[in-house]
This record gives sequence, C-alpha cells and structure tokens, in this order.
Amino acid sequence: MSPLLARLPTRVVAPLASLAAVAIVTGAIELLKDHIPVLSLGVLYTLAVLPVAIAWGMGYAVAVAIASMLAFNFFFLPPLYTLTIADSRNWFALLVFVVTAVVVSELAARSRRRARESALLAEIATSLLERGHVSLELDRIAAEAARALRVDAARIELGDDRPRADGTAEPYPLAAAGRRVGTIYLEHPRQRSAAARRRLLPALASLLGVAIDRERLAREALEAEALRRSDAMKTALLRAVSHDLRTPLMAILTSASALARRDLALDRADRDELVATILGAAERLDHLVGNLLDLSRLQAGAARPEPDLWAVDDLVVQALDEIGQPGPRLDVAFLDESPAVRVDAHHIQRALVNLIENALRYSPPAEPVRVQVSQTEADVLVRVIDRGPGIPAHELEAVFEPFERGSRTGDVPGAGLGLAIARGFVEANGGRLWAESREGQGATFVLALPIAQVPAAVSK
Amino acid sequence: MSEPRVLVVDDEQQILRALRTSLRAAGYEVDTADTAEGALAAAALRPPEAIILDLVLPDGTGTDVARELRKWSSAPVIVLSAVGEEREKVAALDAGADDYVTKPVGIDELLARLRAVLRRTAPSSEPVIVLDQLVVDLQKRSVTVGGEPVHLTPHEFDLLRVLAVNAGKLLTHRMLLEDVWGPAYVGESNLLHVNVSQLRRKIEPDRARPRYLLTEPGAGYRLVNPADL
Repeated sequence: MSPLLARLPTRVVAPLASLAAVAIVTGAIELLKDHIPVLSLGVLYTLAVLPVAIAWGMGYAVAVAIASMLAFNFFFLPPLYTLTIADSRNWFALLVFVVTAVVVSELAARSRRRARESALLAEIATSLLERGHVSLELDRIAAEAARALRVDAARIELGDDRPRADGTAEPYPLAAAGRRVGTIYLEHPRQRSAAARRRLLPALASLLGVAIDRERLAREALEAEALRRSDAMKTALLRAVSHDLRTPLMAILTSASALARRDLALDRADRDELVATILGAAERLDHLVGNLLDLSRLQAGAARPEPDLWAVDDLVVQALDEIGQPGPRLDVAFLDESPAVRVDAHHIQRALVNLIENALRYSPPAEPVRVQVSQTEADVLVRVIDRGPGIPAHELEAVFEPFERGSRTGDVPGAGLGLAIARGFVEANGGRLWAESREGQGATFVLALPIAQVPAAVSK
Repeated sequence: MSEPRVLVVDDEQQILRALRTSLRAAGYEVDTADTAEGALAAAALRPPEAIILDLVLPDGTGTDVARELRKWSSAPVIVLSAVGEEREKVAALDAGADDYVTKPVGIDELLARLRAVLRRTAPSSEPVIVLDQLVVDLQKRSVTVGGEPVHLTPHEFDLLRVLAVNAGKLLTHRMLLEDVWGPAYVGESNLLHVNVSQLRRKIEPDRARPRYLLTEPGAGYRLVNPADL
C-alpha cells in the first residue's frame, strides 16, 4: 500500500473514532454515575485515550485527552453544563489523561517502528536467502531501508571502499563485527531518525555480510564441485583407457602371440578362433577410439555442425544403413509426411546410431526395438524404444554423462560414451535428447529437433 | 590325462576366448569362469593346478576370490591386472595370490609365469637352498656366494631365508615385513628397503643389475635362480 492511500482513510477515520471514543466513555459514565461516585469514574476516559494512542499516535491521543477532560467537566462536574476548570481536580484529570496519551502513544509508536524494522530485516533476510544474489537485490534492499529510515532515497554500495561524498546523499558505513561490508548513501537523512539508523544499519550490515559470505561459499563449493568433477572425469578417463582399451588389446596380443608361436599345437579351428578374436577386438578398439575422438571434439567445441536441410526419415534410414541388418529386431514407424530439419546429417546420424545400437544391446534378443517418428508443433521427435531393464528415475540424467553407465547395464560391455556423444551432437544441432523410463519396462530415448521451414522452391 | 588344468577367470569374453585357445594349444586343460562366484564354484568342482584371475569381476574383486580360495585351495594364482589397479593388485597378492601379469600380456610371458608357479607348488623344505652361485644353509644359518662366505645380520638372514624358501615367488612388502619383523611392522617399508639394499650389497655381484633379488615395482620382491631365466 502506498503511503498516500494509507494516510487518506486515517484522516477521516481517526477523528471520527476519537470522537466516538470520548462519546462512548461519556455515555458509560452517564449510565454508571448513579451507582458509583462520579469523581472516580473520570479515570474511565483513559479507556478512550489508550486505543487512540496505540492506533493513531500522539496527536490524536492528546486531542482525545483534552476532549475527555472537557467532556468530564461539562457533563459531570458541578456546575453541570459549564466549562470551568478552576477546580484543581479538573487540572489533575487533564494531567492524567495527557500523560497517559503521551506515554502510551510513544510506546505504541516505538513498537510500531521496531516492528517495521524487524519486518524489513526479515524481508531482506528472506530475499537474500531465497534469491541468493546479493548484488541483484541491492536496489530493492536500499528502497526498503529508505522507507524504514524515512528518507527519500537510499543506495547501497558493497565493498570496503572509503565512502565518497555524493551530492545530497550522506554516506553511512555498513559494518558488522568489525568488518566493513559496504556503504549506504541516504538522501537528506533527518536528525530525528539517528536512533533508527543506529539500530537498523548494523543489522543490515550483518545480514549483507552473511549473504556475501554465503554467496562466496556457494561459489567456492561450485568451483570445488567443478574441480572434483573434472578430477572424477580424469579418473574415469584413466580407467577407461586402462580397462576399455587394454581389454581388446590384451585379446589381440594374446591371440596374435599364440598364432606367432610355432610350438603351440594349434589346429585349424583354433587358428580361426584366434583370428576371429583379433578381428572382433580390433573392431571394438576402433569403435572406442572413434567414440573417444568424437567426445573430445565435442568437449573441445570442435564439432561445429554444417547444417543442411534434411527430411527426418532420410536421417533415420541412413542411421539404419550404418547399423547394418538387424533384420526383424527393428520396428520402424515413420510419419506420412516427413518433417524437415536443418542439421548436420553426420552428427544426427551418429546420435541415432548410438541410440539404436544401445537399445539393441540392452533389449532381450527376442524383443524388437522400436524407432518411432512423430511431431509436435515445433519439434520432430524420434523415439527409440527398447524393452531392456529400464533406467531408474534418479539415473535418467546421469546416463548422459561420459563414462557413466547405469546400474542396470549388467554384463553388457561398454565404456559409457555412446549416450554422452549422442547428446553432445544433438545439442550442437539445436536439439534435445532425454530419456524416459519405467523401471523394468524398458527405456525410451527421445531425440527432439526443431522443425525447419522448407522454402517454397524446395517443397515444390 | 596328465594335462595340468588351468582355470581362467575374466569377465571379457574376448580375453577368455584368446586365453582358452592359446593355453589349450600349449598343452593345458582349460576351464573358464566370468564371475567371482563362477570361479569359486569351478575351482571347487574341478580343482585346477593353477588359476589365472582378473582383478575386476562383475560380482566382486579378484582379491576376494583369492582370499576365499586360500581357505581351501593351495593352487597358485596369477593375477591379471591393468595399469591403474596397482593397489588392488598388491591387495590380491597379500590375500594369497602368487604372482601377477600386467595387461595386455603376450602368451609367451603368461606361459612362462604359469610354468614358474606350477614348478613351485609348495615352499621348499630343503635345509640347503641353491640358486646358481647363491647357497643358503637354513640349518647352519650360513650363506655363500660362489663359495665365499657372506656375513649377514640376523634380520638380513631372516629376510633372505623367507625369500629363498619361496624362491621364484613374488612376496609383497607386507608379507616380508610381517614374516621378518612381525605384524607390528607391516607399515615400515623403509626398514625393508634398507635391508634389501644391504642384502644386495652382500650377495649381488653387480648391485646395479641384481640377478638374484629382483624388485617388482609397487608390489614387492622376488628371489630367483638366474639360471632359470
């Protein structure tokens, strides 16, 4: 509520209520005066002064005090219906009413100020804790502080720079626990609000100090986390190189050295077996090296797409081509009319191949893998649906991290690179890739690419 | 059927295939397992003469398998380890594995290691151990190199005795410290390094190129008969 709106009704309401208060107490005394000595009833007027003092402050309270005294004098003190305050009892009554009015209204005003300041600090604390960024909240905090300190404008600068005189604004240091947090500049500060400044500014400084510390800690935690992640990444890379590269190498070296020895009794079948092992291991090695290269190009930002206009069906067919002949295990559903996308065909093909090969690897051999093209208003979606073990909800994002493999991968070999590469390529082309799964019901990978506007010349 | 039986444990089918075919052609009967549980079951069902054991298995580590095996089998175990698995490798040796090879390994080295572990299925109980020019008399606690007597401190002799009794076998730092100095000293690798270096000074003809007392980096020491190599 703006100050103006708040003031208008007060102007109307406060005098009326004050008058009513005096009238009610006067009426009450009129009713009671037959049973109780009227002089002792005068104290009832404090009941009119009290609420007015609490609600509207000293001005109205003193007015009510005087009105009460006059009413008491006029209606109840002999000579009745005349205003004479020659009697010392009248002076005494007036004094009691006025003192009550002043004391109570001052107490009420003070507690109202304190409440306002507490509310302000609580508000600032909440906004700092919830939104976090101190520097972004400074203007709002300064505005609140200006209201609490009754100045036209305030501005806060962080840091322990020496405050500069700045036009009409007066600098006040914000310091807490011996530490200089910043400076608040107040426009035309009033001498009367010095006490409020003394109360409010240290608390404000402490809050800002805590928030600044919190921000720094959060930043440090983030950096530490990044470091830890990059460490974990290096460890994972080392492990991958150690295990995933050495396993096929070992198979090749063992087989080849056995073939090279003359003294081993290798029959024809043995030799075929060893040669097949070498070929299989070499293929695996090639695949892994290719994936590592793709990943490092993506991470280095070197995989810049060369976009072209493609029909999505085309891209899917190219990916299926590359995978070879999985025969009846793939169940592909296209749209009647293939939406166009503007992407690097090689990138999207790599992503699709990785997704489909993944699905084939984790599905039981008897279960088909479904590839389904659909579209929304803005995107074309390619879903790759398997009937494998599924992915637990908390791993749906983690499986896209390089070298991360889900907990349900069992004894299917792999380095955990395929999905990371797929996502890298899709995102480099402005698309999105995510996983959906119900545990035990298989997993669905959804590749979304923005639909491209086809120039009229092309669609003709 | 006097072919020695070897149990190969690895979760990688390509490695199992390569080893199975090569070892069979080299005159071994080969059993395979691809899990820790399968390895223990196979070793119990058809006790092998030797076991080749991968360190990383889907349901456990090679170390666990070695420890479990040692409770009821004395068949020598060769650990297959990769770079980056040094700690695990030493743990497996401490748990009772006899030797290790580092992946990738050619069939020649693997066959040589296999022959070596099969040769010494039990620690020597001879009172006098002869390794080429090095003669260790366990009863008299005397040592000669090329007929020349060598004076050793009690700890040096105990160290040489443990190595000689297990000649050819890789002994980890932990095993040696525990045997010679006692379980309280298993962390004191310096003690071991100093004594090994003094022992070498006394028994090796050329300290720069040890022939008898070999270092297995990051794992332990091994006393060998140079004539065997």
